[in-house]
Amino acid sequence: MEKFMIIGERIHCISPTIRKALAERNPEPILKRAKEQIEAGADYLDLNIGPAEKDGEEIMTWAVELLQKEFDNIPLALDTVNKKAIEAGIKVYNRAKGKPIINSADAGDRIEMIDLAAANDAMVIALCSKQGIPRDNDERMAYCTELLERAMTLGLEPTDVLFDPLFLVIKGMQDKQTEVLEAISMMKEMGLKTTGGLSNVSNGAPKEIRPVLDSAVVAMAMQSGLTSAIVNPCDTRLMETIKACDIVKGSVLYADSFLDL
Amino acid sequence: MVFKKSVQKFSGKINEVVIGTGEKAIKLGGENAMPFYDFDGNLGERPKVGMEILDIFPDNWIEPLKEMYKDVADDTAKWAQFVEENFNPDFICLRFEGADPNGLDKSVEECADIAKEVAESIELPLVIAGTNNHEKDAKLFEKIAETLDGYNVLLLSAVEENYKSVGAAGGLAYNHKVGAESSVDINLAKQLNILLTQLGVKPEDMVMNVGCAAVGYGFEYVASTMDRIRLAACGQNDKTLQLPIITPVSFETWTVKESIASENEMPEWGNQEDRGIAMEVSTASSVLASGANAVILRHPTSVETINMFIKELLS
Repeated sequence: MEKFMIIGERIHCISPTIRKALAERNPEPILKRAKEQIEAGADYLDLNIGPAEKDGEEIMTWAVELLQKEFDNIPLALDTVNKKAIEAGIKVYNRAKGKPIINSADAGDRIEMIDLAAANDAMVIALCSKQGIPRDNDERMAYCTELLERAMTLGLEPTDVLFDPLFLVIKGMQDKQTEVLEAISMMKEMGLKTTGGLSNVSNGAPKEIRPVLDSAVVAMAMQSGLTSAIVNPCDTRLMETIKACDIVKGSVLYADSFLDL
Repeated sequence: MVFKKSVQKFSGKINEVVIGTGEKAIKLGGENAMPFYDFDGNLGERPKVGMEILDIFPDNWIEPLKEMYKDVADDTAKWAQFVEENFNPDFICLRFEGADPNGLDKSVEECADIAKEVAESIELPLVIAGTNNHEKDAKLFEKIAETLDGYNVLLLSAVEENYKSVGAAGGLAYNHKVGAESSVDINLAKQLNILLTQLGVKPEDMVMNVGCAAVGYGFEYVASTMDRIRLAACGQNDKTLQLPIITPVSFETWTVKESIASENEMPEWGNQEDRGIAMEVSTASSVLASGANAVILRHPTSVETINMFIKELLS
């Protein structure tokens, strides 16, 4: 069984530092966050440049080259709704360490991101929703199937699609949590790979509580079959939990120093 | 419908490790498939076969071997030359039985001198095996690493109890290769590799001895340990286990009763020398099929047989 894949979420234009650095093409803050995440164990880095309607292509090209040059072709998830920017990023992307991931398609307006992945031999995160939050798992799985069918029709391997069940905030949607876990189980049964923005679950909770909730949810989700997540790799408790779960699941061979790896 | 042969692709690959210098230097590893499964991937370097010699006269070896080496075995360098000229193995393993504190307890200086003479008299790569006394081995390997600086030998081996001294001397202070030895314990094998790496020894300067047993003496556990190590290294792409494996087969097979019982004691078992060779060949072929990249053997007939086994399976 493959080890859990960690996509580092910290290069995100929602952060004022990163937004400014992207706008000014200032490498330092971006490289700093990339380094921290790689050292903490990120397999992929998410590169969120926001909608970037104006100069998306230029920003994406610049940032992809910057990160891959500095960090031995670290694989990236290209995160924007701007399709032209994603195409521009893929053009300069080096696949030595892994295919680019397009973040993300959904069953609504963004379904064409699947087409973009197929046309560029990329992986793609497929959000199992259309508008807002799926009502129940019937709806969620209908989107999942729709996205899978489209991907396969266009020639994508099912394993090139990472299905995102849409993690929901505990504080407010507590009653929906087990449903999300059940959706992951169903996707696992179908042999699909899965991912998601895990930190959604602890949104609005006190800062010291968030790693506890995130860790608990990731452990339960891994048991349900979750194969990757978009997380903050610098969260020690979370990373230790993921590493320990990989050991318990037999995806990584145990050694006393396994947390150091 | 056309038959489509399924192929098991692995994402991980075993490191390539060079032992020795010059034309006769050998390279171990490089594969990204299970042993001899050339239909699945690249098998990397041909598995290597080395021969064992001692720093003292081999009193405990069987008569035919003592007879064969009687004119050279009192001088280790001559013995090494004899082996190189007559049997041309891939490497020579010089084992310091005479340094054992429970035996002759030779000083590390004396041993280092012998090692130097041997290294100077042969072109084949050299593997240095210790006494199995961890304290003595730490001192022995430190001294030999210094004396043999530049020969790129393999020190066999660092264990949990002495990996710091052996790793620091062999892998950091001088440019040799370090063997990480565990006793048929997959988790400890991984742990020791991590510890040596954390010490600063580069993975490309390390090989593993994951332990051995003669066939019939708990060998199933050896085979499954090697299998699981290779599957983790290649299948799970576990970098900490992507090291070539060397197995000192002769150290095990020539101590079991099938090899040491004389014909007088066991007339129904037949010729003692043949039995010893049979134990050595069965064990060596089995560890090679389980994932070993190099084996150490004692009897020239075993070397010849195993070389043929490798050649046939690779052709």
